[in-house]
Amino acid sequence: MKNKVKYPDPKFFRFKDQINWKKQAENLKEIGGIVAELLKETDWKDVAGSVKGDVKAFKKRVSHEAGLLKGMSREEILDLIKNGEKQLGKLYRSGKMATVRREWRGVKDTGVDFYEWMRMWGMLLATFSKDLVPAMGGALHYRWMISYFCCHSFMDKNTLGLRGKALKMHHELIYAIFRYVAENLVLLMKGDEKVGNSKELSKKVVLLDEMTMAQIMAGFPDLIGIPYQLMPVFLLSEIDQLACEPYIDAVESYGLPSDTCPVPTSECGACVIDALPHLGACFISSSMPCDGSVMASSYTARRFKDLPTFHLTFPVRYEDESIMNAAVEDIKACIRFIEEQTGARWSWDAYFTAMKRFNEETRYELQKWEVNQTPYPQLIGPCYELFRKWNYEMDGGIDPRILNTFKKVDELMKKAYANREEPWRGKMRHRAIVWSVPAHYYANFSNWLANCWGINVLVEMESLNFTKPLETEDKEEALKDMARLYERMVMRRHTNGGYDHVLTELWRQVEAWKPDLVIMYQHVSCKNMSTLNGLFEDQAREHGVRLIWIEHDLMDPRTVSRKDMRSKVNEYMRTVMREEPLDPSLVDFEDDASW
Amino acid sequence: MKDLKYLLEFENLLEDADNALVRQAQADGRYAIGYTCYHMPEVLLNVDNCFSTRIRAPRSSSIDIATYYMSNYTCEYARSLLERAIEGGYEFLDAIAGVDACSAMNRCYEHIEILKCNSKPHFFVTHTDVPYKIEEYTVDQVETQMRLRLLDVMHEKLGTDTSDAALLAAVEEHNELCDVMTQIGDFRKLDNPPITGYEFHVLCLVSYCCPTPLILPKLKETLEEIKNRRPDEKPFARARVVVAGSEIDDLDFSRLLEESGALIVADRYCYGSFPGRERIELQDGESILRQICRHYMRTSECARYMAQDKITQRRDTIDRLAREYHADGIIFEQMKYCDFWAFERPLASHILEEEYGWPVLSIDRSYNVRGSGQLRTRFQAFVEALEIKRIQKRRAAQEAAGSEVKR
Repeated sequence: MKNKVKYPDPKFFRFKDQINWKKQAENLKEIGGIVAELLKETDWKDVAGSVKGDVKAFKKRVSHEAGLLKGMSREEILDLIKNGEKQLGKLYRSGKMATVRREWRGVKDTGVDFYEWMRMWGMLLATFSKDLVPAMGGALHYRWMISYFCCHSFMDKNTLGLRGKALKMHHELIYAIFRYVAENLVLLMKGDEKVGNSKELSKKVVLLDEMTMAQIMAGFPDLIGIPYQLMPVFLLSEIDQLACEPYIDAVESYGLPSDTCPVPTSECGACVIDALPHLGACFISSSMPCDGSVMASSYTARRFKDLPTFHLTFPVRYEDESIMNAAVEDIKACIRFIEEQTGARWSWDAYFTAMKRFNEETRYELQKWEVNQTPYPQLIGPCYELFRKWNYEMDGGIDPRILNTFKKVDELMKKAYANREEPWRGKMRHRAIVWSVPAHYYANFSNWLANCWGINVLVEMESLNFTKPLETEDKEEALKDMARLYERMVMRRHTNGGYDHVLTELWRQVEAWKPDLVIMYQHVSCKNMSTLNGLFEDQAREHGVRLIWIEHDLMDPRTVSRKDMRSKVNEYMRTVMREEPLDPSLVDFEDDASW
Repeated sequence: MKDLKYLLEFENLLEDADNALVRQAQADGRYAIGYTCYHMPEVLLNVDNCFSTRIRAPRSSSIDIATYYMSNYTCEYARSLLERAIEGGYEFLDAIAGVDACSAMNRCYEHIEILKCNSKPHFFVTHTDVPYKIEEYTVDQVETQMRLRLLDVMHEKLGTDTSDAALLAAVEEHNELCDVMTQIGDFRKLDNPPITGYEFHVLCLVSYCCPTPLILPKLKETLEEIKNRRPDEKPFARARVVVAGSEIDDLDFSRLLEESGALIVADRYCYGSFPGRERIELQDGESILRQICRHYMRTSECARYMAQDKITQRRDTIDRLAREYHADGIIFEQMKYCDFWAFERPLASHILEEEYGWPVLSIDRSYNVRGSGQLRTRFQAFVEALEIKRIQKRRAAQEAAGSEVKR
């Protein structure tokens, strides 16, 4: 019988911690001092007033809901029991981080949802139990760790309004996302000098720069690649909209102008306030995807002078095969660098095995596109995008469990397609595609679009990357394919190498997906996309395509709030499309303080 | 000081991108190739029947149309160029030699193509790829790009001779220009230089914007004039500064700074002389083109080079210039909305101050600074701070000498 390969290698979790307890005690003392100060400064009357207000609001809500129930006809009650509630805006309460309660989806789907909620808790507890002490210690060192306590809330907001197989598919995907998160958090805290301080683990860790795909680590099965800024900054900002504000403020106080992209800005800010864990044998910095990202690495290098760094850089004009050699040579140099820093050896067998899996995953990914291009799209909504980004592209076929998730989702999707199901029942009014960079602090925007206005996002620009199967036999050709893949990674494929890749490409995709609306994000600090605003406008008119422009500032909701983003759509739908919302309770609600 | 003979003429040449000498060269049958970035080797554009002109948008005011196309949060320099192009200001160009180094400038070139801002039938825009670090394989990359995307296109579209002999001739002419500019620039090392920072800025800009064969004789004559020029007995400046950072082609910047009491002794910014006016030293055993590419990569101070050796080189260069040119402080500037320099400026400013020990003024600025009261105030305050530092230093030295005598 074949031995089942466990991923990640259990030995990574078993490496010995070398916790400096004296330092932990000092930190605890400091935290205790802060807490004591907070308690001292707290206006308890205000707290009591707030609690009273909460109780009052709770009572009011319960009596309101009871009143609604009383006023319902028998058919309406049966529909509520079977299909769930329809006024989702009522789940939000101004000034509160969490929703007032979880969504009632009807008996069957609430059962499914509750089961998945439990399964997620089980997985999180099991994962953190692999080395609980450093993970708990980490929560006392890094405030961003606290934001991960809201992962169930994140799950809920990304699945709002979903029913049937769509709900199951989304849960499968989000489970995989949080497994990836939890494992990386445990390893980060275990290896971090401030917390677990596991030297043995640290020697096995290769840190990867923001959004650098992990394929290059597939040839090093004895090592583990961790996207360095992913947990403290990047993914965090999708979970907690307020999480990056301290980073942005810190680096802007340091002197950085406020017009730069919040991704590299936050990463630099994380260095300034010492929010990045300190671990790893080396760091693979990269020039991807854009100008701002190039520059952030100088801040990281400055903060961690003892961390050997390799700059993985690829040609910008990536269609030009005459300079492919530079990309291939850079990959080879990177591999040599990792070998030198870790003592590990590159394995072609391991690489090809992982890439075969990745190719299989790509095949499943293309099937999703195929289904979504039909009049009966199935896998739509935020979880699809998040899974694609973190578990498909970033993982790059290394984690064998991801292929199973693909398979399960594929089965569900095909069944749902055969039944002509609707992911958001009765809410399939418009077909839309998303173009440009989505707002991290509103990762579930497409969910709101569907629930409020019946705008169903079939695909996002960031999904439409490299899909050619990677070479799995010829070594030189494999390196070229890896270079092609990296050059066409998320965001980079569209923003680099000329306007054709993003401007003309939109009209090609409109042809393929047949949307009647394009959700056109305008990330106000993205210089690359902003420099094409006028041409998008001009050419959209020529092509007869409706663009709904929605400004945002990626990780900083203070510039453009979620509510402001929604109001753009509300205005457009009412004034241009002359439509009324499917769920009026979602048109205007407060969520500035919510996760 | 007595006015330089050609200063007014040079200033007039800088009033328009399409200046009198450019028109004269074109009338003589040569092709004007516009470029903006140091990543594009200037010398390659001066081969055979072509000449380079580093493009600017002097006297820019409203950039509304370019803002419609490129939004208001993007580099004002790129937008000003696009506005000028839409107005027809670059109709005279025969080509634009572009590099895909920063997204704003690359989009500017693309707009010029898409919006058909130049109607000459042979007009072309190149988009060459440039690397982020220096390795042998990235030198290959630049060499390949310059051959395929630039020289071959020039040959095909303009009939340019791009042989080694033609490249060698261009290098020799370039070196002659660099020697003249270096000699002029070296006067700034003197305690009381016979040239101001503003004047040098004018000379440097004409050397970039005008055809070399036509501007070189005038620059040579200016060099001789400066050699014999008597500086004012009491210098106008109260402090000596190095200006470092992103692109400056706005003479008003230097004027404003010097009016505030500073003397610009070294210009380490794009369109300045560091880098740009260093000789290209050719050796046997390697192709001329490769050596040219390597020279530009090695001397480049562009913030886009992300490898640590280049980051250190940038800081060391500013420090070296400040020492060699006896500066009292450094002004680190950045064009508003430029991503590369936006990140480089704060970090480098802190490091130059804290580790290299230089007083640093860190600013971001518009493409055109004319009439900027805010900037004037900051310059004046910085000059005063430098003066105070100098007085404090002198007093400390006197006190130390006094206590030494007592002992």
